[in-house]
Amino acid sequence: MKDYGLRKGLLVSMMLSAGALAACGAEEETTAATAGEDEVTVDVFQFKVEFKEQFETLAAQYEEENPGVNIEVTTVGGGEDYGAALRSRFASGDEPSIFNIGGPQDVADWKANLTDLTDTEAANAALDGTLEGVTVESEVLGLPYNQEGYGFIYNTRILEEAGVDPASITDLASLEAAVEKIDSQKEDLGLDAVFALPGKETWVTGLHLSNTFLAPEFDNNVLTAFDAPEVTFEYGEAFKKILDLQNEYSVQPTLSLDYSMQVEELFSMERVAIIQQGNWVYGSIAGIDQELADSGIGMIPIPVDGYDEGGLPVGVPMYWAVNSEENPEVVEASKAFLDWMYTSEAGKTAVLEDFKFIPAYEGYDTSKISDPMSKAIYDAAEAGETIGWVFMGYPTGWGQDQLGADIQKYLSGEANWEEVTESAKTAWSTDRSN
Amino acid sequence: MRTRDLSYWLFLAPVLLALTLVVIIPMLLGVYYSFTSWNGIVTGGFVGLQNYIDLLKDERFLASLWFTTKFSVVSVILINFIGLSLALIVTSRIKSSKLLRTTFFMPNLIGGLILGFIWQFIFVKVFANIGQLMGIESLQGWLATTETGFWGLVILMSWQMAGYIMVIYIAYLEGLPQEVLEAAQLDCRNEYQRFRYVVFPLVAPAFTVSMFLTLSNTFKLYDQNLSLTAGGPYNSTEMVAMEIFKTAFTQNAFAYAQAKAVVFFVIVALVALVQVYINKRREVEM
Repeated sequence: MKDYGLRKGLLVSMMLSAGALAACGAEEETTAATAGEDEVTVDVFQFKVEFKEQFETLAAQYEEENPGVNIEVTTVGGGEDYGAALRSRFASGDEPSIFNIGGPQDVADWKANLTDLTDTEAANAALDGTLEGVTVESEVLGLPYNQEGYGFIYNTRILEEAGVDPASITDLASLEAAVEKIDSQKEDLGLDAVFALPGKETWVTGLHLSNTFLAPEFDNNVLTAFDAPEVTFEYGEAFKKILDLQNEYSVQPTLSLDYSMQVEELFSMERVAIIQQGNWVYGSIAGIDQELADSGIGMIPIPVDGYDEGGLPVGVPMYWAVNSEENPEVVEASKAFLDWMYTSEAGKTAVLEDFKFIPAYEGYDTSKISDPMSKAIYDAAEAGETIGWVFMGYPTGWGQDQLGADIQKYLSGEANWEEVTESAKTAWSTDRSN
Repeated sequence: MRTRDLSYWLFLAPVLLALTLVVIIPMLLGVYYSFTSWNGIVTGGFVGLQNYIDLLKDERFLASLWFTTKFSVVSVILINFIGLSLALIVTSRIKSSKLLRTTFFMPNLIGGLILGFIWQFIFVKVFANIGQLMGIESLQGWLATTETGFWGLVILMSWQMAGYIMVIYIAYLEGLPQEVLEAAQLDCRNEYQRFRYVVFPLVAPAFTVSMFLTLSNTFKLYDQNLSLTAGGPYNSTEMVAMEIFKTAFTQNAFAYAQAKAVVFFVIVALVALVQVYINKRREVEM
């Protein structure tokens, strides 16, 4: 009887530990097998869920044209935390060949893993200014995905019926006049309110809105912001006015209003006239009302009181980086793939028509950009009427967790504007002095 | 005897191995990391107790600790009160008691994240609409203030856990010896006295268990917090687990977050041990 117990115990523990060991062994075998043949595997770890399928189709096309190259795409994004997932990939030793970085802070953090991409065709074709955030000592460490921009998106029909010409809104005073005019007719127009300010989303107020008013202070340059030891809120008063205007004429309570309510429920259903958002909302609006998305909306810049050279804030949301720790063949194959995607004819067509990107590179037939917001952004970029995305250079977490949270306090009446800017200034300089 | 000892350890070996690998080693590593300046990518230098010193001055951490404590106290009381009441209802001889048991237990089967989103809809949309129809101003803008966020979390948590705690109380209530209860029936003047002097002391072990479960669950709460309020507005409904996660992943201060986690672990362990010790003393032998 006692022997039986002993054997059974042994058996169980052996089976379990064998299982645990087998799991480790299996992985090594597969990597050895792929490396053994003349095949290169490029492991892409990217964040943009919106174009996942189209991107995978393009990767498959590339594999077909280039036998011997194997592109594996993993996408983590949307509601998921890409940064956290990327860190765990690296920590576990399963490092991707191509991954995404966001701006100067990411470049500083990942410096040891970034390949110099200066000699790639794509880097040469990149539009002026798009490489600013990822260039360190003349080394280009990332390639832009695309361009994105935001501003006030308005409903053409509602503005027309209210008798407001969007072209006439050029400064704060004309915006205020227009808002009041729409507000006075909101019963007839069937509106809940003029604006929908999503106070719950700290990125809308803390990153995007603040960017509009901090960019002039940092010469529209993300690196100036990244190097700045302090922030002064030179246009803080103008910032407050726009925030107050949006808050006063918004659907209430703004603090429980989130992105999907703002875009899908209120704007797409034509219950509000104007929202502060970017060209990425096209897909959401098109999913509800294709006609509205294609021909019923437009975008104007957020006016900065007392500053004339304003424009649409246009920037690069993310960059592709190539992992320098991979072996040389993989690094070369990764560069070749990125080059092909942005500079070959097939790649360009996909970028423009399938991904629906606003290209950040030269040599594109931009007449094919169909959605009205992307068109407005591209036109502004071409005319040079843009301001930069300096929020990529804010101290880590400052925009959303500090300023955005303090703005929520302000919106709920727990703090006045003075306290908001003071605590944001202190947090900025504390972070930068560390 | 010796061989029985050996087989005993062999049976235990897989569990011990797993426990060491996934709990003990990571915990020791975590304690080690809390003394460095690790940012999630490079380990960084050894900084001694600096992280722990910073933490004492960290207003946001202390605020989240205070919020969590308040939330736990209110939730533990409410959940146990509701759980015991439900248990008393379904064990008293009423019709449809089986159906009721299932119904009360049901919320516990739904995942925390989904529950959070469902309740978010109820608080924000349903409450607002009812408020509009009935003209009750206080139903507007739920989750948009710290107070409504707090009570929202308490309601969500009680709704989810009360059914689970009810099951524990049922088990103890049904295990009570029939002769004692019958004797009590004769000796006590009314139902209240019977409950207060006989039933209540006899189910004391159930209090130990269920208070431990509710206390540790509410202290460690993360998913419901994330999906219901996400810490908003202005981070005022942020509980400790979430604050630690944000420190690590949005501020990239991994070592610092690790130090917070160690402190948090010690606090939860202490509170739980003290609670069990106190409750144990109140239990009576049958």
